[in-house]
Amino acid sequence: MIHIQDVSKSFKGNLAIKNLNLKVEKGEILGLLGANGAGKSTTINMLLGFLNPDSGTVSINDIDTSKNAQEVREQIGYISENVNLYPYLTGIENLDYFCKLAGLNYSKEELQDFLTACGLQSEAHHKKVSGYSKGMRQKVGIAIAYSKDAEVYLLDEPASGLDPLASNELSKLLKKLASEGAIILMASHDIFRVREVCHRIGILKNGVLVKELHSKDVSANELENLYLKFMQN
Amino acid sequence: MLQIIKNEWRFLARSRIFLGISFAFASILLVSIFLGFYQTKKQEQTHKNAKDHVRQQWVSIDEMNPHSAAHYGTYVFKPANLLSSLDEGVNSVTGNVLRVEGHVQNEIIHSEASQMQSISRFGKLKPSLLLQYIVPLLLIFLAFNSVSSEKQSGRLKLLFLQGAKPLQIILSKTFSVWLYGVLLLIFVVIVYGILHIDSITTEILTRTGIFFLSYALYYFIISGLTVFFSARWQNATLALTSMLGIWIIWTIFLPNILMSSSEKWHPLPSRNEFQSAMKEDRSKGLDGHNPKDKRGLELKEKVLKEYGVDSLSQLPINFDGMRMQADEEYGNSVWDKHFGNNRNVLQKQKQSFQLGGIVNPFISLQNTSMGLMASDNLHHQEFLLQVENYRRVFIKMLNDKQTYGGSKTGNWSWKEDNAFFKSVPDFDYKPTKLSKIIPNYLLDIALLAFWSILVILLIRFGTKKIEIV
Repeated sequence: MIHIQDVSKSFKGNLAIKNLNLKVEKGEILGLLGANGAGKSTTINMLLGFLNPDSGTVSINDIDTSKNAQEVREQIGYISENVNLYPYLTGIENLDYFCKLAGLNYSKEELQDFLTACGLQSEAHHKKVSGYSKGMRQKVGIAIAYSKDAEVYLLDEPASGLDPLASNELSKLLKKLASEGAIILMASHDIFRVREVCHRIGILKNGVLVKELHSKDVSANELENLYLKFMQN
Repeated sequence: MLQIIKNEWRFLARSRIFLGISFAFASILLVSIFLGFYQTKKQEQTHKNAKDHVRQQWVSIDEMNPHSAAHYGTYVFKPANLLSSLDEGVNSVTGNVLRVEGHVQNEIIHSEASQMQSISRFGKLKPSLLLQYIVPLLLIFLAFNSVSSEKQSGRLKLLFLQGAKPLQIILSKTFSVWLYGVLLLIFVVIVYGILHIDSITTEILTRTGIFFLSYALYYFIISGLTVFFSARWQNATLALTSMLGIWIIWTIFLPNILMSSSEKWHPLPSRNEFQSAMKEDRSKGLDGHNPKDKRGLELKEKVLKEYGVDSLSQLPINFDGMRMQADEEYGNSVWDKHFGNNRNVLQKQKQSFQLGGIVNPFISLQNTSMGLMASDNLHHQEFLLQVENYRRVFIKMLNDKQTYGGSKTGNWSWKEDNAFFKSVPDFDYKPTKLSKIIPNYLLDIALLAFWSILVILLIRFGTKKIEIV
């Protein structure tokens, strides 16, 4: 379970997160909506153990991320907005390298299956990443997170740069992972994708969780209106 | 760790620029090794020709008075050193030829630098020049961006998430850069070994082994520090600037400043002071060519008493030879005093300069490199000492022949035949054994090891504060 309890975080006197409380249970996908600077990435970085909260606790499966970052990271699959890979390696080599770092030794076929499952066409598997588009790199990034077979997935604008088809594939993948018991937190600007994929949605504004709701309770249009209302106020 | 090192090398192997630079640099190294080899071979040949020629002159003396032969003298040539084809050290400035004669200890002359402007200006292109100055620069350029690029691209975050630890990443990056330097070293040592395959001895192997070790340690220091700065500073430019600054201070400024300081702390007498002091002390002794010299007369009385005779003409020996030898022995003690003093000063200079290794590992590297390649001042002093010892044996043999060879005092026209001159041994240089001089370099090696440990500690504790976000 992801558990964020009374967390505040500021940078050089500027409050980025204020008294944030969040829980994401096993098999659940939580979407965090918010404008740039709302605190979405800060929240994810605290969950990853790269930032420590000024107050409150952040834990994953009851492990405090500020105290046992390394242990927590082993359980996390992470996809960032901009996946930067090694340009001199091919897609499959990049995946293989990051898997091996995590202690995972997959066969060539298994690696190809991961890439294909994440929407990367097979003819691109053996091409150098320096020739990839942003979307193709993003797909390899998703494959890296997916191959880790993690208990928790943290996604920071994961669909950034993806074409609609790949975006749809990602949604399917996330749903599948959740159905298998994964805990997923996804930060995004994409209201419609969040509404479609997530079980619950939180709206962050200036570091404050201003609204939390179940996606089944709102339509996409209602969510958009709600979001705009909060952002404009 | 192995995965990260493998990945770094995959990057290097796929970079055309890197491969191009490596190929070009390896070619330059190859040229420098061949040049060193060629120069050494040429020097060996020149040395052999000169030595044979001078020896031939000596053994061709048909008949000559032994003391006249002592004035005729001979020449000793500093032999080319196989190891110095890797590091020339001070060889090109110290001179190669020493005239050996009676009554006087001459200075070594004819340095290569005094005859070739290119050497006096730029030094010789030897592998050590490239290994000491250029390879560290290559390592800096390879390493300065190694962690900062990961940080700036966001890959560092991913590396951590995949289980890599900061220490692991930085050590792996350090080892992969260091490995490049070590490969260049291996390349140099192998090519050198192949070229000298017939002459390799345990002594050469041991010296080259420790030479290799000291360079490997220095490269680790450079690689580790650069990777550390790359991890610690916010951007790569700052890491590069810091390391280039350190490189300039370590290789250009500090060696000069520290050497000048140690020369000031332990000054050598100037050449004039040295010669005047020698002359003055010598004048207090016995003059072998002056029969009225007071000390000479004292010796005469002593010898006459020993032989139980009243005059020199009654002596069964030639007193002139004995007086000459007494003169020599006094001169030897004067030389021992002044040359010994110079050696002591040089030793003190070396010791204080060695301590510079505490702030500058480059000094320790240079000391071990020259020392192990038998081309530093210590080895040069050992050579001079051997020549002086030879001179003493050489002159004593001639004086003894003058004394006991059958001539009478005052008979300067008496001559010894060719067989005697042939029996006078030639100078046989015994290269200084590493076991004899290794204590002089233990501090340098220890300081290089100390710096390596310091860098590991810096990485170990300094990288905890790396900012990822």
